Amino acid sequence: MSMILNNAAVHCQMAQPYERSPARVWVVIAAYNEATVIGRIINEVKRRGYTVAVVDDGSSDHTAEASAAAHVVVRHPINLGQGAALQTGIDFALERGADVIVTFDADGQHRTGDIEKLIRAIRSGDVDFALGSRFLGCSEGMPVSRRVLLKAATLFTQLTTGLRISDTHNGLRAMTPRGARVVRLRQNRMAHASEMLSQIAASSLGYIEVPVTIEYSAYSLAKGQTVGDALMILLDLFARRLYR
Amino acid sequence: MIAQTVISMLLIGVVAYAASERRRSPVVAWLSIIAAAAGLYFTWTPDHATQVAMWAGVGRGVDLILYIWVCISLIVLLNLHLKLRSQMELVTVMARTIALAEARRRLSENAMPPQGPPQRVSSGRRALGRTGNPMLRAGKERL
Repeated sequence: MSMILNNAAVHCQMAQPYERSPARVWVVIAAYNEATVIGRIINEVKRRGYTVAVVDDGSSDHTAEASAAAHVVVRHPINLGQGAALQTGIDFALERGADVIVTFDADGQHRTGDIEKLIRAIRSGDVDFALGSRFLGCSEGMPVSRRVLLKAATLFTQLTTGLRISDTHNGLRAMTPRGARVVRLRQNRMAHASEMLSQIAASSLGYIEVPVTIEYSAYSLAKGQTVGDALMILLDLFARRLYR
Repeated sequence: MIAQTVISMLLIGVVAYAASERRRSPVVAWLSIIAAAAGLYFTWTPDHATQVAMWAGVGRGVDLILYIWVCISLIVLLNLHLKLRSQMELVTVMARTIALAEARRRLSENAMPPQGPPQRVSSGRRALGRTGNPMLRAGKERL
């Protein structure tokens, strides 16, 4: 079953509080050289009562120290990539009995209030994945080039997976434990977002898109993807099909 | 005749290598086998090689065989790249196992009551409190 929440009118609304224990909601943040912003992000998420797991992906700066406020810091001994870090965080959250697992970018472009929307969407929609969509919601300060790139990536994903989605590389998403168990990311780097959508499509589990807000800053844009990165993602996805 | 024999032995080596890689990367293996088989055929039937070369616009049969050899080299290079990716996946699994085991250890350490004689307990606690390791500090909060 697949569902798409296609109501632009609800975007940017204030989320209602989550009725279950928010501590059972694990927010996984993959961080690589994010020492300057990670502390603020962790505190904002913790303020909402969620359990925060930071996966420090072999940072060469003080990201691990700056993440001291997190409930758990898992440290990769070497830099592997965001996809690998997310999979590590998901694995850890699963084994600690998470009720809902949320992935959240470390560069500060997501709003913590949107986590509540994702969780409620999962509960009310009887689905296993709630995928954030900036194109159903708000995107502040998005350059035209980024919009074109994301639209092209979304079209590619629609064609290759058959999923009817409006945003493909949004790092804000939530999943149930059942959903998390079908996600086995083998694309260590940025192609993991497309890989996850392929796995969702292959699993036939339910998903829903939720309008979320993305706030672009100079910092997040510098960390974001370029056309060259998009080509590398395509190559990664192609190469992955050539071997077992 | 000598050149044909040497090229044939090399191409047979390519076929054997491709066959051994068939399970790991079937697409690359089959491409290599097809290219090597074509190379073998044209090596021993130069007239056909010349005909196909003229049809393809290459000119000479020997050039066609050379181009096939270049294709095989590129395919083998691709296979090496895929092998590196495969190795990276193993490294990822290992790094993840280490990272998760370390995180579990830190959490269980902080969940355990302090051990040893009473006079050493307080110093142990102080030492724990002073640690600069974020994973030790993070583990203090109950999950």
